[in-house]
Amino acid sequence: SVTEIRSGFTAIKANIQARDPIRTLSILSHPQSLHKVKSSDRCCIIHNLFNFYMDKVFKHCQTEDSYINRKISSIANSFLSIKKKLEQCHNQNKCLCGQESTEKFKQILANYEGLNITSAAIKSLGELDILLDWMEKSR
Amino acid sequence: SGELYCSLPNPRNVHFESINMKNVLHWSAPEGTGEGVLYKVKYSVYGVGKWIRKPECRNINRTWCDLSNETADYEEQYYASVKAFLNGMCSDWMETARFNPLTDTKIDPPVVNLSSTEKSISIILTAPEKWKRSPDGESVSLLQVYPGLQYNVSVLNKKTKKRWFFSISNNTLVVPWLEPGTAYCVSAQIHVTTPLLHSGFSKEYCIATLKDKTA
Repeated sequence: SVTEIRSGFTAIKANIQARDPIRTLSILSHPQSLHKVKSSDRCCIIHNLFNFYMDKVFKHCQTEDSYINRKISSIANSFLSIKKKLEQCHNQNKCLCGQESTEKFKQILANYEGLNITSAAIKSLGELDILLDWMEKSR
Repeated sequence: SGELYCSLPNPRNVHFESINMKNVLHWSAPEGTGEGVLYKVKYSVYGVGKWIRKPECRNINRTWCDLSNETADYEEQYYASVKAFLNGMCSDWMETARFNPLTDTKIDPPVVNLSSTEKSISIILTAPEKWKRSPDGESVSLLQVYPGLQYNVSVLNKKTKKRWFFSISNNTLVVPWLEPGTAYCVSAQIHVTTPLLHSGFSKEYCIATLKDKTA
Protein backbone atom coordinates (compact mmCIF):
# COMPACT_ATOMS: atom_id res chain seq x y z
CA SER A 1 0.00 0.00 0.00
CA VAL A 2 0.97 3.67 -0.23
CA THR A 3 1.52 3.72 3.52
CA GLU A 4 4.09 0.93 3.19
CA ILE A 5 5.85 2.85 0.43
CA ARG A 6 5.83 5.97 2.57
CA SER A 7 7.31 4.26 5.63
CA GLY A 8 9.88 2.41 3.52
CA PHE A 9 10.92 5.68 1.89
CA THR A 10 11.07 7.55 5.21
CA ALA A 11 13.60 4.98 6.42
CA ILE A 12 16.00 5.67 3.52
CA LYS A 13 15.14 9.27 2.57
CA ALA A 14 18.13 10.99 4.21
CA ASN A 15 20.57 8.39 2.83
CA ILE A 16 19.25 8.47 -0.72
CA GLN A 17 18.82 12.25 -0.93
CA ALA A 18 22.39 12.70 0.39
CA ARG A 19 23.58 10.71 -2.64
CA ASP A 20 22.01 13.30 -4.96
CA PRO A 21 24.26 16.39 -5.08
CA ILE A 22 22.26 18.17 -7.81
CA ARG A 23 20.09 20.83 -6.17
CA THR A 24 19.23 22.70 -9.31
CA LEU A 25 17.26 20.02 -11.14
CA SER A 26 14.22 17.97 -10.22
CA ILE A 27 12.80 15.00 -12.10
CA LEU A 28 9.20 15.35 -10.91
CA SER A 29 8.59 18.87 -9.62
CA HIS A 30 10.22 21.34 -12.04
CA PRO A 31 9.78 23.14 -14.29
CA GLN A 32 6.15 22.09 -13.94
CA SER A 33 4.83 20.91 -10.56
CA LEU A 34 2.84 17.70 -10.23
CA HIS A 35 0.42 19.75 -8.18
CA LYS A 36 -0.64 21.58 -11.35
CA VAL A 37 -1.91 18.35 -12.98
CA LYS A 38 -5.67 18.37 -13.57
CA SER A 39 -7.66 15.79 -11.61
CA SER A 40 -8.89 14.26 -14.86
CA ASP A 41 -5.29 13.47 -15.77
CA ARG A 42 -4.38 12.06 -12.36
CA CYS A 43 -4.92 8.41 -13.13
CA CYS A 44 -2.88 8.58 -16.33
CA ILE A 45 0.04 10.35 -14.63
CA ILE A 46 0.04 7.89 -11.73
CA HIS A 47 -0.11 4.97 -14.14
CA ASN A 48 2.79 6.35 -16.20
CA LEU A 49 4.84 7.22 -13.12
CA PHE A 50 4.42 3.77 -11.61
CA ASN A 51 5.67 2.28 -14.87
CA PHE A 52 8.51 4.84 -14.89
CA TYR A 53 9.65 3.84 -11.39
CA MET A 54 9.40 0.13 -12.15
CA ASP A 55 11.16 0.31 -15.53
CA LYS A 56 13.69 3.12 -15.06
CA VAL A 57 14.32 3.72 -11.37
CA PHE A 58 14.37 0.81 -8.94
CA LYS A 59 16.54 -1.45 -11.08
CA HIS A 60 19.23 1.24 -11.33
CA CYS A 61 19.39 2.04 -7.61
CA GLN A 62 21.80 -0.56 -6.32
CA THR A 63 23.89 0.75 -3.40
CA GLU A 64 26.73 -0.69 -1.33
CA ASP A 65 24.40 -0.78 1.68
CA SER A 66 22.38 -3.99 1.99
CA TYR A 67 19.86 -2.39 4.36
CA ILE A 68 19.15 0.35 1.81
CA ASN A 69 18.93 -2.22 -0.99
CA ARG A 70 16.40 -4.28 0.98
CA LYS A 71 14.28 -1.21 1.62
CA ILE A 72 14.40 -0.29 -2.07
CA SER A 73 13.26 -3.74 -3.12
CA SER A 74 10.39 -3.73 -0.61
CA ILE A 75 9.29 -0.34 -1.96
CA ALA A 76 9.50 -1.78 -5.49
CA ASN A 77 7.32 -4.73 -4.42
CA SER A 78 4.71 -2.36 -3.01
CA PHE A 79 4.81 -0.43 -6.28
CA LEU A 80 4.29 -3.65 -8.19
CA SER A 81 1.15 -4.58 -6.27
CA ILE A 82 -0.33 -1.10 -6.72
CA LYS A 83 0.68 -1.13 -10.39
CA LYS A 84 -1.37 -4.30 -10.92
CA LYS A 85 -4.43 -2.58 -9.53
CA LEU A 86 -3.81 0.41 -11.79
CA GLU A 87 -3.59 -1.95 -14.77
CA GLN A 88 -7.20 -2.89 -14.16
CA CYS A 89 -8.25 0.78 -14.37
CA HIS A 90 -6.11 1.26 -17.44
CA ASN A 91 -7.52 -1.81 -19.15
CA GLN A 92 -11.07 -0.67 -18.46
CA ASN A 93 -10.17 2.60 -20.18
CA LYS A 94 -10.77 4.66 -17.04
CA CYS A 95 -7.31 6.11 -17.23
CA LEU A 96 -7.25 8.37 -20.26
CA CYS A 97 -4.22 10.53 -20.98
CA GLY A 98 -4.98 14.15 -21.89
CA GLN A 99 -2.66 16.48 -23.78
CA GLU A 100 -1.36 18.10 -20.59
CA SER A 101 -0.49 14.89 -18.80
CA THR A 102 1.24 13.57 -21.91
CA GLU A 103 3.33 16.75 -22.00
CA LYS A 104 4.02 16.55 -18.28
CA PHE A 105 5.20 12.98 -18.52
CA LYS A 106 7.42 13.84 -21.52
CA GLN A 107 8.99 16.57 -19.36
CA ILE A 108 9.67 14.05 -16.59
CA LEU A 109 11.36 11.68 -19.04
CA ALA A 110 13.39 14.57 -20.47
CA ASN A 111 14.54 15.53 -16.95
CA TYR A 112 15.49 11.90 -16.34
CA GLU A 113 17.36 11.52 -19.63
CA GLY A 114 19.26 14.76 -18.95
CA LEU A 115 21.35 12.87 -16.37
CA ASN A 116 23.35 9.67 -16.46
CA ILE A 117 21.23 6.66 -15.56
CA THR A 118 22.50 6.12 -12.02
CA SER A 119 22.22 9.78 -11.03
CA ALA A 120 18.77 10.02 -12.62
CA ALA A 121 17.58 6.86 -10.86
CA ILE A 122 18.90 7.94 -7.43
CA LYS A 123 17.40 11.44 -7.91
CA SER A 124 14.04 9.94 -8.89
CA LEU A 125 14.10 7.63 -5.89
CA GLY A 126 14.94 10.59 -3.65
CA GLU A 127 11.86 12.37 -4.98
CA LEU A 128 9.41 9.62 -4.02
CA ASP A 129 7.98 11.86 -1.30
CA ILE A 130 7.10 14.42 -3.98
CA LEU A 131 5.04 11.72 -5.75
CA LEU A 132 3.50 10.43 -2.52
CA ASP A 133 2.66 13.93 -1.23
CA TRP A 134 0.88 14.69 -4.50
CA MET A 135 -0.95 11.36 -4.59
CA GLU A 136 -2.12 11.67 -1.00
CA LYS A 137 -3.05 15.31 -1.19
CA SER A 138 -5.31 14.89 -4.16
CA ARG A 139 -6.87 11.59 -3.12
CA SER B 1 36.34 39.75 -5.53
CA GLY B 2 38.36 40.05 -2.41
CA GLU B 3 37.46 36.47 -1.57
CA LEU B 4 38.15 35.89 2.06
CA TYR B 5 40.47 33.12 3.11
CA CYS B 6 38.02 30.38 4.13
CA SER B 7 39.79 28.36 6.75
CA LEU B 8 37.43 29.00 9.64
CA PRO B 9 35.86 25.80 11.02
CA ASN B 10 32.38 25.19 9.66
CA PRO B 11 29.04 25.79 11.39
CA ARG B 12 27.77 22.45 12.67
CA ASN B 13 24.48 20.58 12.66
CA VAL B 14 22.73 22.91 10.21
CA HIS B 15 19.10 21.81 10.20
CA PHE B 16 15.49 22.95 10.11
CA GLU B 17 13.34 22.85 13.21
CA SER B 18 9.69 23.05 12.20
CA ILE B 19 6.52 23.19 14.28
CA ASN B 20 3.14 23.64 12.53
CA MET B 21 5.22 24.68 9.49
CA LYS B 22 6.99 27.49 11.27
CA ASN B 23 10.32 26.59 9.72
CA VAL B 24 13.41 27.87 11.53
CA LEU B 25 16.97 27.13 10.48
CA HIS B 26 19.26 26.26 13.38
CA TRP B 27 22.99 25.50 13.65
CA SER B 28 25.80 25.28 16.16
CA ALA B 29 28.78 27.61 16.20
CA PRO B 30 32.00 26.34 14.62
CA GLU B 31 34.10 24.35 17.05
CA GLY B 32 36.48 26.35 19.22
CA THR B 33 35.52 29.81 17.94
CA GLY B 34 34.05 31.49 21.02
CA GLU B 35 32.60 35.02 20.73
CA GLY B 36 32.42 37.30 17.73
CA VAL B 37 31.42 34.84 15.00
CA LEU B 38 28.97 36.26 12.47
CA TYR B 39 26.88 34.30 10.00
CA LYS B 40 24.99 34.68 6.76
CA VAL B 41 22.25 32.46 5.40
CA LYS B 42 20.96 31.51 1.97
CA TYR B 43 18.29 29.08 0.82
CA SER B 44 17.12 27.45 -2.39
CA VAL B 45 14.03 25.73 -3.72
CA TYR B 46 14.90 22.18 -4.71
CA GLY B 47 14.95 21.80 -8.49
CA VAL B 48 15.36 25.55 -9.10
CA GLY B 49 18.76 26.81 -10.02
CA LYS B 50 19.58 29.63 -7.66
CA TRP B 51 20.49 30.32 -4.06
CA ILE B 52 18.71 33.24 -2.47
CA ARG B 53 20.28 35.28 0.31
CA LYS B 54 18.23 36.05 3.40
CA PRO B 55 18.96 39.74 4.15
CA GLU B 56 17.52 39.62 7.68
CA CYS B 57 20.04 36.91 8.51
CA ARG B 58 23.14 38.62 7.15
CA ASN B 59 26.02 39.30 9.60
CA ILE B 60 24.01 37.94 12.52
CA ASN B 61 25.63 36.55 15.68
CA ARG B 62 22.67 34.31 16.68
CA THR B 63 22.58 30.70 15.52
CA TRP B 64 19.07 30.55 14.07
CA CYS B 65 17.18 32.15 11.22
CA ASP B 66 13.43 32.06 10.63
CA LEU B 67 12.81 30.93 7.05
CA SER B 68 9.08 30.28 7.48
CA ASN B 69 8.17 32.92 4.94
CA GLU B 70 10.60 31.58 2.38
CA THR B 71 9.51 27.96 2.84
CA ALA B 72 5.77 28.53 3.19
CA ASP B 73 4.85 26.66 -0.01
CA TYR B 74 4.66 23.10 1.26
CA GLU B 75 4.38 21.74 -2.27
CA GLU B 76 8.06 22.56 -2.67
CA GLN B 77 11.18 21.28 -0.94
CA TYR B 78 14.13 23.34 0.18
CA TYR B 79 17.79 23.53 1.12
CA ALA B 80 19.36 26.17 3.35
CA SER B 81 22.99 26.97 3.98
CA VAL B 82 25.06 28.90 6.53
CA LYS B 83 28.53 30.49 6.34
CA ALA B 84 30.54 31.78 9.34
CA PHE B 85 32.90 34.78 9.54
CA LEU B 86 35.48 35.79 12.17
CA ASN B 87 38.42 38.22 12.04
CA GLY B 88 38.52 38.32 8.24
CA MET B 89 38.28 34.56 7.88
CA CYS B 90 35.28 32.54 6.78
CA SER B 91 34.04 28.97 6.74
CA ASP B 92 32.58 26.91 3.91
CA TRP B 93 28.85 27.02 3.23
CA MET B 94 27.24 24.26 5.26
CA GLU B 95 23.93 22.90 3.97
CA THR B 96 20.89 21.26 5.46
CA ALA B 97 19.48 17.98 4.23
CA ARG B 98 16.57 18.40 1.81
CA PHE B 99 13.68 19.88 3.79
CA ASN B 100 10.08 18.87 3.03
CA PRO B 101 7.75 21.10 5.09
CA LEU B 102 4.86 18.66 4.68
CA THR B 103 6.62 15.64 6.15
CA ASP B 104 9.36 17.23 8.25
CA THR B 105 7.25 19.47 10.47
CA LYS B 106 6.14 18.65 14.00
CA ILE B 107 2.51 19.13 14.95
CA ASP B 108 1.26 20.63 18.21
CA PRO B 109 -1.48 18.79 20.15
CA PRO B 110 -5.09 19.86 19.54
CA VAL B 111 -6.94 22.28 21.81
CA VAL B 112 -9.60 20.48 23.85
CA ASN B 113 -12.93 22.06 24.85
CA LEU B 114 -15.29 20.22 27.18
CA SER B 115 -18.90 20.47 28.31
CA SER B 116 -20.95 18.05 30.35
CA THR B 117 -24.42 16.89 31.24
CA GLU B 118 -25.38 14.50 34.06
CA LYS B 119 -24.30 11.38 32.16
CA SER B 120 -22.12 12.52 29.30
CA ILE B 121 -19.27 14.79 28.32
CA SER B 122 -18.89 16.49 24.95
CA ILE B 123 -15.42 17.00 23.58
CA ILE B 124 -14.61 19.50 20.83
CA LEU B 125 -11.10 19.33 19.37
CA THR B 126 -9.37 22.06 17.39
CA ALA B 127 -6.32 21.29 15.28
CA PRO B 128 -3.52 23.86 15.35
CA GLU B 129 -3.17 26.38 12.55
CA LYS B 130 -0.40 26.34 9.99
CA TRP B 131 2.16 29.11 10.60
CA LYS B 132 1.02 32.33 8.92
CA ARG B 133 2.89 35.38 7.70
CA SER B 134 1.06 37.84 9.94
CA PRO B 135 -1.52 37.68 12.74
CA ASP B 136 -4.18 39.04 10.42
CA GLY B 137 -3.16 36.73 7.61
CA GLU B 138 -5.48 33.99 6.41
CA SER B 139 -5.78 31.15 8.91
CA VAL B 140 -5.17 27.68 7.51
CA SER B 141 -5.94 24.75 9.78
CA LEU B 142 -3.61 21.76 9.59
CA LEU B 143 -6.79 19.83 8.90
CA GLN B 144 -6.76 21.43 5.44
CA VAL B 145 -3.11 20.55 4.94
CA TYR B 146 -3.49 16.93 6.05
CA PRO B 147 -6.83 15.53 4.84
CA GLY B 148 -6.09 12.24 6.63
CA LEU B 149 -5.82 13.97 10.03
CA GLN B 150 -7.40 12.06 12.94
CA TYR B 151 -7.57 12.47 16.70
CA ASN B 152 -6.73 9.96 19.42
CA VAL B 153 -8.63 10.84 22.60
CA SER B 154 -8.07 9.52 26.12
CA VAL B 155 -10.82 9.86 28.75
CA LEU B 156 -10.03 9.10 32.41
CA ASN B 157 -12.55 8.60 35.22
CA LYS B 158 -10.73 10.30 38.10
CA LYS B 159 -12.61 8.26 40.70
CA THR B 160 -12.20 4.77 39.29
CA LYS B 161 -9.03 5.55 37.29
CA LYS B 162 -10.65 3.72 34.39
CA ARG B 163 -9.45 5.07 31.02
CA TRP B 164 -10.96 4.83 27.53
CA PHE B 165 -9.29 5.52 24.20
CA PHE B 166 -11.08 6.71 21.09
CA SER B 167 -9.81 7.35 17.57
CA ILE B 168 -12.00 9.77 15.60
CA SER B 169 -11.84 11.52 12.27
CA ASN B 170 -14.18 14.41 12.93
CA ASN B 171 -13.47 16.87 15.73
CA THR B 172 -16.33 16.20 18.12
CA LEU B 173 -16.94 13.28 20.48
CA VAL B 174 -19.73 12.66 22.97
CA VAL B 175 -18.95 10.09 25.67
CA PRO B 176 -22.28 8.74 27.05
CA TRP B 177 -23.33 6.55 30.02
CA LEU B 178 -21.07 8.26 32.52
CA GLU B 179 -21.51 8.58 36.28
CA PRO B 180 -23.17 11.79 37.48
CA GLY B 181 -21.16 14.08 39.73
CA THR B 182 -17.85 12.59 38.67
CA ALA B 183 -14.65 14.21 37.37
CA TYR B 184 -13.35 13.11 34.01
CA CYS B 185 -10.04 14.17 32.45
CA VAL B 186 -9.48 14.29 28.70
CA SER B 187 -6.27 14.39 26.68
CA ALA B 188 -5.98 14.29 22.90
CA GLN B 189 -3.38 13.74 20.21
CA ILE B 190 -3.32 14.41 16.47
CA HIS B 191 -2.50 11.47 14.22
CA VAL B 192 -1.90 11.79 10.47
CA THR B 193 -1.82 8.44 8.69
CA THR B 194 -0.01 9.53 5.58
CA PRO B 195 2.48 11.06 5.69
CA LEU B 196 2.94 9.45 9.08
CA LEU B 197 2.91 12.25 11.67
CA HIS B 198 1.57 12.59 15.18
CA SER B 199 1.58 15.25 17.87
CA GLY B 200 2.20 14.64 21.53
CA PHE B 201 -0.84 14.26 23.77
CA SER B 202 -2.30 17.54 25.01
CA LYS B 203 -2.27 18.35 28.69
CA GLU B 204 -5.28 16.95 30.59
CA TYR B 205 -8.49 18.99 30.62
CA CYS B 206 -10.88 17.98 33.39
CA ILE B 207 -14.62 18.47 33.89
CA ALA B 208 -17.25 17.01 36.22
CA THR B 209 -20.57 15.57 35.10
CA LEU B 210 -23.55 17.28 36.70
CA LYS B 211 -24.98 15.86 39.89
CA ASP B 212 -27.99 13.54 39.58
CA LYS B 213 -30.97 15.78 40.40
CA THR B 214 -33.19 12.83 41.31
CA ALA B 215 -30.73 11.43 43.88
